[in-house]
Amino acid sequence: MTTTLIPGAVAVPERPSSTAWRVWVAALGVGLSVGLVSFLYQWSNGLGVTGLSNTVTWGMYIVSFMFLVGASAGGLIVVAGSELVGTERFAALSRLAVVVSVAAVATAAGTILPDLGRPQLAWRMITQPHLTSPLVWDMAVLLTYLVIGGVDLYLLSRPAVPGRAMRRMAQITLPLAVLVHSVTAWIFGLMVARPFWNTPLLAPLFITSALVSGTALVIVVALVVRRTTPVAFDDRTLGALAKLMLWFIAADAFLLSAEVLTTLLSGSPDHQTQLRVILTGRLAPLFWSEVVLGVVVPFVVLANARWRTRPVVLGTVSVLAVVGVFFKRINILLSSMFEPLVDLAPGLPGGRPGQPFDVAEVYLPTWVEWGVLLGMVAFFCTLVTLGVHHVVIPGHRSDSADEGPGGAYDRADGPDRAAFGHPREDG
Amino acid sequence: MPEVTIRQQGASSEADALPPASRDYGRIGPRSEAPRWGMAVDLERCIGCWSCAVICKSENDVPLGMGWNRILTAGDDLDTPEVDEFGDLSMHWVPLACQHCDDAPCEKVCPTSATYTDETGTVLVNQDLCIGCRYCMAACPYGVRVFNWGDPEHAPTFGTGMVESRPTGSVEKCTLCVHRREDDLVPSCVWSCPAQARIFGDLDDPDGPLVQAIRSRGGSQLLEDKGTGPKVWYLEPRRRRPL
Repeated sequence: MTTTLIPGAVAVPERPSSTAWRVWVAALGVGLSVGLVSFLYQWSNGLGVTGLSNTVTWGMYIVSFMFLVGASAGGLIVVAGSELVGTERFAALSRLAVVVSVAAVATAAGTILPDLGRPQLAWRMITQPHLTSPLVWDMAVLLTYLVIGGVDLYLLSRPAVPGRAMRRMAQITLPLAVLVHSVTAWIFGLMVARPFWNTPLLAPLFITSALVSGTALVIVVALVVRRTTPVAFDDRTLGALAKLMLWFIAADAFLLSAEVLTTLLSGSPDHQTQLRVILTGRLAPLFWSEVVLGVVVPFVVLANARWRTRPVVLGTVSVLAVVGVFFKRINILLSSMFEPLVDLAPGLPGGRPGQPFDVAEVYLPTWVEWGVLLGMVAFFCTLVTLGVHHVVIPGHRSDSADEGPGGAYDRADGPDRAAFGHPREDG
Repeated sequence: MPEVTIRQQGASSEADALPPASRDYGRIGPRSEAPRWGMAVDLERCIGCWSCAVICKSENDVPLGMGWNRILTAGDDLDTPEVDEFGDLSMHWVPLACQHCDDAPCEKVCPTSATYTDETGTVLVNQDLCIGCRYCMAACPYGVRVFNWGDPEHAPTFGTGMVESRPTGSVEKCTLCVHRREDDLVPSCVWSCPAQARIFGDLDDPDGPLVQAIRSRGGSQLLEDKGTGPKVWYLEPRRRRPL
């Protein structure tokens, strides 16, 4: 096994056995099947098979959508930002970050479909868009983002990536990534009915959460890719990204604190009612777990320069940060849904035959929702696997081929074998 | 019209099926060229009987588990009177259905323009366009929209209403009985209230019964500070007798 000293260049770690590959593919297949079956069951029986109701009308699907758009935007902002600033520190990660970003946004677009009551009419949003609706803006921006991301992936998969094209791409993708998640925030933030969301801070808060989750997700995927493919990222690159994540967590915590403090001390009664749900009410366990596990622990660990370069520690902390941001999305959505503005007895009709009126709202996702979400996770992993296989590995191989004799792939022991035990395609 | 699908029953129209006295009682009467239909609910007269809610379900074939109109109890609890600062008890009900806002938040956020306002100011849902995203339900400050979570079920299984049920996966709400207007009939809830607590009329007619009632009694709106401009007014109770 050889490792070069060029930062971020390709090293050759142990190859995975093809059994691991087969297990992975089987797991993806099972996940996708479960998702498809759940979705079809829901489509034929109506959304009543979920845990949603007339009061809590948006649930885990919308939470996942929020989270995925954020994770997608975050990774791309870091890559494009570093390209524009001119630092080479994250260049080795840029392919993987773009793959993760495009996979996340494609999965997000897919997650919206199960949330529709009549997905067979979804095309109406294109033929008859209502231009005052933030959902229409979001659909337009997401589609643009997908197309630009596809172009970005194509450019990155070519053997010689032209520097000027990458710079131009960064100039487009950075504002586009910020716009994508801001528009997603404005889906929630422009409604008088939801005071907890109706704050100018919502878009900045979404962006900082996106930066945390996007960076953390890229780190987690990079660590997995490092262990399972011939592609490697050296500890210094990952450590630099971890240090960046430290500041993102701080920024996110700052905005959250500003929001909570302002509302607590001077918010309107409606706003405070919805805030109390997450501070001391039904969502308090989730909120304080998010604060401790998703903010405090990662911040303390990442602040230590020795700890953040150790893969196990970094991986754990990144997973915690991702989970913390996911909990945050749940808290943001459900706190407002649990406390409607007009909450006099008897409340809203349950929605299903025999379901009584209920003032005290409960939301418990059913197996259908978990099944669809599992399918979405499998879909994301499938896209990342495809991206790694077709963009990241060939890209890194051509990078190291440019190094010439003595480089990582110049081995005396015969033809190279590509990842996962398959024969090399380009001979 | 795609907002409501009228069910063809035996009578050629609902109006013909009514005895003349009922028909006269429910008549809208002379109207201007461009009315702006609104409603007032007299909180002094409302006794919380839920008749209007029941007949709305019947008229519009609202399925089981759903309701377009609900009667909220003012105060903390469903069956508990309120206690005022002198220790006296009182009890009031607030019937709540779509407020048909002038600046409707539901209409702004609908991605397919399924929710729209007609020329008389009534907010309606075009069921051919509704994709069931429920953005309007998140945006409505009053919580008056309901969703078809499954196939519509009724008891009895044949529909009793004058309009068909809406498709699974679409959002529905009070239509101010838009299907009755061409027969010169007021909405069913107005017609059926045993205490005559509801007044239907033209908000742009200063001499009409609606505006007169609001002016003389002093009306207020729900969530006025949200700026939605609802067309439903609530007339304050005048008498305050201890229970």
